[in-house]
Parts: sequence; C-alpha cells; structure tokens
Amino acid sequence: MIDLDPRTRIVIVFFISSAAIILKEIKSLLLLLTLTLAICMLLSISLKKATMRLKRLWYVFIVLALVQSIFTHGGEPLLALGGIEILTTKGLETGISIILRMSIIIYSALIILITSPMDMVYGLAAMKMPQEIGFMVLLAIKFLPLIKEEFIDSIIAVQLAGADLKRIPLGKKISLYTYILTPSVIKALRRARFISLSMECRGFRAYSTRTYYRKLNMKKGDYAIIVVTLIFLIAIVSTSW
Amino acid sequence: MSFYIIDSLAFSYNKNTSLLKNISFVIEKNQHIGLIGENGCGKTTLIKLMLGILKPQKGTILLEGQNVRDIPLSQIGCKIGYVFQNPEKQLFCPTVWEQMSFSFIYGNEIDNQDMEDRINYYLDLFELEKYKNDSPMKLSRGEKQRLALASVLSRNVDYLIMDEPTIGLDILRKKQLEKCLLTLKSEKKGFMIISHEPNFLEKYVDKLLILSSKGVEVI
Ligand SMILES: Nc1ncnc2c1ncn2[C@@H]1O[C@H](COP(=O)(O)OP(=O)(O)O)[C@@H](O)[C@H]1O
Ligand SMILES: [Mg+2]
Repeated sequence: MIDLDPRTRIVIVFFISSAAIILKEIKSLLLLLTLTLAICMLLSISLKKATMRLKRLWYVFIVLALVQSIFTHGGEPLLALGGIEILTTKGLETGISIILRMSIIIYSALIILITSPMDMVYGLAAMKMPQEIGFMVLLAIKFLPLIKEEFIDSIIAVQLAGADLKRIPLGKKISLYTYILTPSVIKALRRARFISLSMECRGFRAYSTRTYYRKLNMKKGDYAIIVVTLIFLIAIVSTSW
Repeated sequence: MSFYIIDSLAFSYNKNTSLLKNISFVIEKNQHIGLIGENGCGKTTLIKLMLGILKPQKGTILLEGQNVRDIPLSQIGCKIGYVFQNPEKQLFCPTVWEQMSFSFIYGNEIDNQDMEDRINYYLDLFELEKYKNDSPMKLSRGEKQRLALASVLSRNVDYLIMDEPTIGLDILRKKQLEKCLLTLKSEKKGFMIISHEPNFLEKYVDKLLILSSKGVEVI
C-alpha cells in the first residue's frame, strides 16, 4: 500500500475534481475516470466495497441523468413518441456525462476519505490553513456519525418502550420522530461541548502558534504522483480543446 | 415451555475476534437470574442479542418458543422491560413526565386508567416527582438511572432485564431498588440482573450465570 502525504491527497483531489467540472466531452471524462480509478487502486482502495456502499446514491444519479437526458434537446432524435422527441443524442450525451462526472468526484473524494481525519488536520495545517479550520473540519467529520448513533439508539429505545413504528398512525409518528430527533441533537451537541471543553483544558488556542508532534514529510513518491497526475490531466484537458 | 431458550449462540462484532461462543441456557418465566462476568466479557452484548437488537451469527434464541429474530422489537419491548446500562440511551423524551407516560401512550399498555397512579407511585418511590417537568438530560447520572428504572418498573411487563442497575445509586436508592425487586418477587415476576455487587446477587437471585470467553456456566 502506498502511503501518501495528506497534502498530496488534497492537491490531487482538487485537481481531479476541477478537471471533472471543466471537461465536457464524454471521451475525456472517461479518460479522467480511468485515471481516478487507477489512483484509487494504487492506494488500494477497495472499489467494489465503495461502490456497494454508495448504492443508494447511484440510483439518485441515474434518475438525475435520465431527467437531464429527457429534458435536453438537440442533435438527432433517438426516441420519439407521436412527433415529440423524448430522447436525443445530445440528451443522451448530457446524461452520460453527468454520471461520469459524479463518479469521478465521488471516487476521487475516496482518496481523501480513507485518510484518518487527524491526518487531514495535519495536512491542512501544513498547508498554512488556520488551525481552527482544520479542527472544525475534524469535528464536523466526527459529528455526523454521532447524531446518527444517538438517533439509532433512541429509535431502539422507543421500540423497546413498546411503540410499534410500523403501526402507529402518521400524525403520532411525526410527533414521535420530533420527540426522538430533539434529544438526539441535544445529546450530540452536548458531547461536542465536552469535546471543546476538553480541548481547551489541554491548551487549544492558548498560544497563537501551534507546534505539531508529527512532522509531515513530502516524499519523492508524493511529488512523483502529483507530477504524473498533472501531466495526465493536462493531456486530457488539452486534447478536449 | 421455557421462557427463554438460548442454544449454542455465537457472536462477534468483527470478523477477527469472537466475543461470545457456546452460549446455551434456559430461563423460566418466574426465575430470578444473576449474570456476572468480567468487564467487557459481553454481558451487555448478550442482553442485546436476547432482545433482538443485535443478531447472532450462530445459534438461536427462542422467546416463548418464537425465534427472537422474527419478533418486532416493539413486541419484545411489551413483554420485557429493559434497563439499559447507560440510562441516557433510554431517555428520549423532553420531560420526565412524558418519559414515564410514553409506554402508556404509544405502547399498547392496556390499563391506561391507573396510569397516573402508577407513574406517580414510581416517581415518588425514586424521589423524582420534583423533576416532573424538567428535561431528563438535566438530571445527574444517578437520577437518570432512577428515572430509567422507574419508567421500566412502572410498565406492566412479564420479565425485567436490568443491566448494572445499581451503578450511580446511593445506599438509600439501592434500598428502594431492593424493595422493588422484592415486590417483583412477590408478584411472581421474573427478572435478570447484571451486577457486580455480591450482596445484591446473594439476596435476590436464585440462579447465577457466569459468562466467560469459554461460554456460560450455570450455578
Ligand atoms: N458496538 C460495538 N462495536 C464493536 N465492539 C463493541 C461494541 N459494543 C461493545 N463492543 C466490545 O465488545 C466487548 C463486550 O462489550 P459489553 O458487552 O458491553 O461488555 P460488558 O457489558 O460485559 O462489560 C467489549 O470489548 C467492547 O469493547
Ligand atoms: Mg455492560
């Protein structure tokens, strides 16, 4: 497994996702997707697992792409019903490029997501980002699972208190969910407050400069990957013009 | 037929390590069981399996002859009262009173008539009536524990499972809990209690389950 510096990851993902937005042609988007997947594989990210985990998101994308292809007109009609063009070549192109673009952005995001959140903080700090922003990102990343966990626990508690979520009428159900959601958020917020308190107890922001125990070092491999990615990106972008 | 039949159960949270294996035992409806074992040996996990919150990887759990896997959580909740190890996980209502009356309003507790009496009795017993309109989140650890106990005890369930109910209780409140256990015994209701306190177990339990990595031992 190749271990990249967090900064390398940030830079690569930034370039790839910018390119995904600039590029319009299906051919070049396909090339970019190949490049992204190749980098993912290089970092031994399990593409199969990731794809399975994002199953629901793919449905959304497919629906989005379908809607887009139906409402984009131009080019040759491929499918027409009673004189009304339903699907045109242009529409199909738009649909496919949307799916490709989304895939590129999601798979490239994996490059950042598999790094530990703390590493990301180190990376951001080393890129001269104010430390507060780094820690805010860290807390935000940790926060969502917290709310989810509290919510699931509350749902279990509600059911064990005898409430059948499938059978109670809609009106009661809505009030029940607000019942559960409020304490979940309160509990999660309170945990966040404790985290910030204990961070301050350990001297967070006590001094204007902060030193880090871990020093990040860009290795040759990091530069090599950045350069190679850039060359590929420039090649892809320039051929599309 | 026995109340609970647990047969060669195995469970682990991740693939590499096994937490529970070879777990087999039987519980009768009016039995008073103590479950002990070292920290982290999987007592809470075992209870969660028995309630159907977690699914076993191997083996079966039968509750009154029915596989727990096939019973909705809410139905299990109507039969079995469970006091969570962490009372906070159990308290989800905006006020203490709503928490106490929740099962009566949303669950199918039938005898709604004496709801107020029952709730007031248990609020009084655990000295919580002054917090009636306060948020459960504001209570201290011991008070939360008392509220969790009171809300479960006030319900008319067949069987009670309490996960370390004495944690956070002072001596007086422990006495109140003991009183409740005695009442349950006199009502011929069964309970299962996880506790590290020997005198609690000696006095109120007639069967002891010792959980370890090898399995479960019955005394
Ligand atoms: N949700 C979970 N995911 C992964 N591991 C867990 C989870 N809950 C508990 N464990 C682990 O399982 C073991 C048993 O936990 P638990 O059943 O709570 O022990 P006990 O109640 O006997 O003290 C512990 O080592 C704990 O770290
Ligand atoms: Mg436990």
